[in-house]
Amino acid sequence: MKVSLNWLSDYVDIDDLSVDEIVDKLTTSGLEVDEVIDEAKNFENIVVGLVKEVNKHPNADRLSVCTVTDGEQDYQVICGAPNVAPGQKTAFAKVGAYLPAVNITLKKAKIRGVESFGMLCAEDELGISDNHEGIMVLNEDAPVGAPLSDVLNKNDVILDIAITPNRADALSHTGIARDIAALFNKKLKIPEVNLTESETAVDELAKVVVENVQDCPRYVAKVITGVTIKDSPGWLKRKLTAVGLRPINNVVDATNFVLYELGQPLHAFDLDKLSGSTIIVKNAEEGYKFTTLDSKVRELKATDLMICDAEKPVAIAGIMGGENSEVSNDTKNILIESAYFNPSAIRKTAKRLGLSTDASYRFERGCNPEITVFAAERVAALIQETAGGDIAKGNIDVYPNEIKRPVISLRFSRLNKILGFEIEPGKVKSIFETLEFNVVATDTEKVTVEIPLFRHDLEREIDLIEEVARIYGFEKIPPVDKIQVALEKKIDQTSFNGKVRNYLTALGFYEIITNSLLKEETAEYFGKAIPVLNPQSIEMTHARTSLIPGILSTIERNIRVKERNLKIFEIGHTFEMKSGKEIESFDDLKELDKLTFAVTGKRETGVWYSKDTEFDFYDVVGAADELFEKLRIENKLTDEYVLEPDDVFEFRLIKKYKEEKIATGGKVKGGLLKKFDINQAVYLFDVNLDALRSIKTEELKFNELLKFPKVVRDFAFVFDKDILYESVVKEIYKSSSKLLKKIKLFDIFESDSLGRNKKSMAFQLEYYDENRTLTEEEIEKEFWKTIEHIKKKLNGELRG
Amino acid sequence: MENQINNVVNQFEQDLKEVKDLKQLEEIRIKFFSRNGLFAKLFDDFKKLPKEEKPKYGQLLNSVKKESQQKFDELKKKLSGQAQKYEKFIDLSLPGRKHTIGSKHILIQTIEEISDIFKGLGFSIYVGPELESDANNFEALNFPDDHPARDMQDTFFVNENFLLRTHTSPVQIRLMKEKQPPIRAIMPGKVYRNEAISAKSYCLFHQIEGLYVDTDVTFAELKGTLVYFAKMLFGENVKYRFRSSFFPFTEPSAEVDIWWQPKGKEGRWLEILGCGMVDPNVLENVGIDSEKYTGYAFGMGVERMAMLKYGINDIRVFFDNDFRFLSQF
Repeated sequence: MKVSLNWLSDYVDIDDLSVDEIVDKLTTSGLEVDEVIDEAKNFENIVVGLVKEVNKHPNADRLSVCTVTDGEQDYQVICGAPNVAPGQKTAFAKVGAYLPAVNITLKKAKIRGVESFGMLCAEDELGISDNHEGIMVLNEDAPVGAPLSDVLNKNDVILDIAITPNRADALSHTGIARDIAALFNKKLKIPEVNLTESETAVDELAKVVVENVQDCPRYVAKVITGVTIKDSPGWLKRKLTAVGLRPINNVVDATNFVLYELGQPLHAFDLDKLSGSTIIVKNAEEGYKFTTLDSKVRELKATDLMICDAEKPVAIAGIMGGENSEVSNDTKNILIESAYFNPSAIRKTAKRLGLSTDASYRFERGCNPEITVFAAERVAALIQETAGGDIAKGNIDVYPNEIKRPVISLRFSRLNKILGFEIEPGKVKSIFETLEFNVVATDTEKVTVEIPLFRHDLEREIDLIEEVARIYGFEKIPPVDKIQVALEKKIDQTSFNGKVRNYLTALGFYEIITNSLLKEETAEYFGKAIPVLNPQSIEMTHARTSLIPGILSTIERNIRVKERNLKIFEIGHTFEMKSGKEIESFDDLKELDKLTFAVTGKRETGVWYSKDTEFDFYDVVGAADELFEKLRIENKLTDEYVLEPDDVFEFRLIKKYKEEKIATGGKVKGGLLKKFDINQAVYLFDVNLDALRSIKTEELKFNELLKFPKVVRDFAFVFDKDILYESVVKEIYKSSSKLLKKIKLFDIFESDSLGRNKKSMAFQLEYYDENRTLTEEEIEKEFWKTIEHIKKKLNGELRG
Repeated sequence: MENQINNVVNQFEQDLKEVKDLKQLEEIRIKFFSRNGLFAKLFDDFKKLPKEEKPKYGQLLNSVKKESQQKFDELKKKLSGQAQKYEKFIDLSLPGRKHTIGSKHILIQTIEEISDIFKGLGFSIYVGPELESDANNFEALNFPDDHPARDMQDTFFVNENFLLRTHTSPVQIRLMKEKQPPIRAIMPGKVYRNEAISAKSYCLFHQIEGLYVDTDVTFAELKGTLVYFAKMLFGENVKYRFRSSFFPFTEPSAEVDIWWQPKGKEGRWLEILGCGMVDPNVLENVGIDSEKYTGYAFGMGVERMAMLKYGINDIRVFFDNDFRFLSQF
């Protein structure tokens, strides 16, 4: 909310305070000042200039060479405005002036060969209106050389304050003034209203019926007859424009003034347009189409609270008036509404209609039911001052159930327990008093206060503790310099993922973090995706069902910047629908912690010690093996090999724990890569971290170092090409005793000499016994037994 | 005889001049100094000389051979020194064989750095789901239904009761429901806000939540803990302020600013985190006696911290995953 310091000074004396002091105190006490706009700053080096002489520019028909004085010195200024004339007083921007409206800093310039020392400004160039008809001509009595800001009354400082939703009371100048008074120990000055009312009682002119008291606890109306609608006086316009409002006419401006002064939204109806001169506050007819002031047709619901006359709705309560009862230039008689509406009712309607107004913004945060009469009188007096007319005697005040002020006690011991710091009871009481809380009782243990109804945020003891702390000042509460730690088990639920990250980075992978929101087509490709009700764009409509799209878009993005060789991984959550269509409980969805790592491009490129080689399937398999080995679960997993493509892979390796799929790796199929505009091979592994984490590993135990020598034997076999490495290993183990401890495949090749669809595989077998040295004979026996077994079982042919 | 001797010496010196390497030198040795070499031949001839001429030529022959041998040895020494130099030469300036350690994402590194500070203070670390219930994300945290406080966080809804969590605070609720005090934990993770993507905001970011509930938790302790944290992360001399604010789930609530002084630019206060004493309503919502226990909570944006620390001014760069960015950390 924009707050004018000039306006604020009507309610609290701030002459002795600097802008910085005010900004600092307001900000630290909870009214955060986002921006300070010093109006005069925009008029620096701009003064009232007197045009002494105007001559034609020798080289340009449309330009004039003017002599302008600031009272001390004459300046030659080139001017293009048709209206420039000798004797005029005008806005003269000197060299060095900055004009924010047009973003120009004035320098000495040569214009068509003639020097110019400044500029005579039009209103739009000064940012005070859109007028660009000619230079701004000032009143004759403007003192030559005076700062333009003084002449135009642009010497205000505007604070843009971010008001948190709990502080509805601070949405007005008196509200801010109240906090300043409390913070600087000053007195709040509420304006006095002296009403001159006519003989005619208000009841004779209008009637108010509140049918929905729940949503409209109080409705105050005042009537003014015989007004003249016209422009507001300058002082009123200035106040409104200072806080960013557009002046409309004297009646509307008066209601806006009181809104920004007291925080009470008001509405002025053209009384003659109210059928039966009656106001009925009731709920709308379901489906009724109502045209609001902004000429938009709104469809209503039966839960919307409406202001109606005897026949029809005339305003959406607390949000916006209707076109049908709007104050126009011909309006003579007006009815002022000053009501208190239920915050939640207003919010529901405003939200549904997507309509946020100054009024609804305040009503939904909570206005002050105690100020309605005062606000109505204040605005009536103002209207009379600016629009004439007679104020009917008295108020209509429908307030069937008076809202009681809450009474709350604060225990001093509790205050100290929460803050960890002692604040003296006397100080506590004086803080409450400056905030206008009535101290109703006090003793050595507690203080009891009655809370005025403008503070909707104060209901409990803790709320009072916050008030004390914020006005006293958080900076005065000393931080502790030691803490106590409970000696209990500490848990780190991120440690497993931390390990995975450490291992993968050690293996040379770089971590990425991608958007979890994907477009529908992509998300649906990998699973039953969960849509977002209110997406930002069609690119981000569904929660991701897989990390693979993020990996692929990252690869595509990097290829575009010529980073073609990548080893990357992402750890993150994926989301899928589990059962039906609608998510009613957590059981209906599956949120998984996943890991995907991928390689693409070349292993190493442009190095002196080796030729470039492309990544292949075995790079991701090797990384997976090492990762699972380090996590000590590799030996618990079984592998399954699939040569047929699925949606993602051309071929794949599935790692399972018991029956559960833990990880799938393979070559990403071309069709999928094409969707991501990738034209190089990508190999990846997709891992379910939740499943991985839940596998129990044995405690890590030391294996005794070997005391006896190991014996090594090699052999090479020629097999049919489709014999799996894994089956050879299995058969070797099957035919061996426990003495065989390790098998290494150290060579594999195909060649014409082997024959078509044949391959050669060379193995090294490692034998040992923990307790003795093995004899040559037993190894030979064992080794040949294996060879014979392989020959027979796998139809292998021994090569050597 | 004298001519013969001079011829051999001249020939030797001529040959020696042309020697380039040890191999050629060895040929010279064979030619001149071997058993059948030219010097040996001179000695054979010398033996055949008449007795009276022997003393004269013997002296000469001995001295020239010695001289030549010396020259030969010198050259050999020189050449073998040279040979050794090249034989043992290694270009130590060649770039090494490449070993690449990858890297964790800078946001993860930042989370780890912050986590380490709090681990040192006895905090545990918990995580929770990103797709949350409205009950955990808002209701239990004292955001009443239809209250403007809900407008503080633009929410991606899945339906009326489920949403993408807007903060890590629902993990507090999960934790407090699960465990009785004392509870001292931080809770890092992804959160989502339905805000237009720009240099300043992205539809998701990372937060670290902190919670401490016990019998004597005070605002002064919250302040001390966070001041310590700010000093650890931003340096011992960090200038800070606690400023009153509003969060539905804490009261009193505060925001912490640090004074940010970029070189050659105007300094300013920058918000780094929000905090406060756990609202009694929140404790009661999870079945903790708010009269007996008090607590504090805080939450910070990881991106913001990383942007400050590393001088990054566009949040989108974290999620672009350009390798030229990733490989810097």
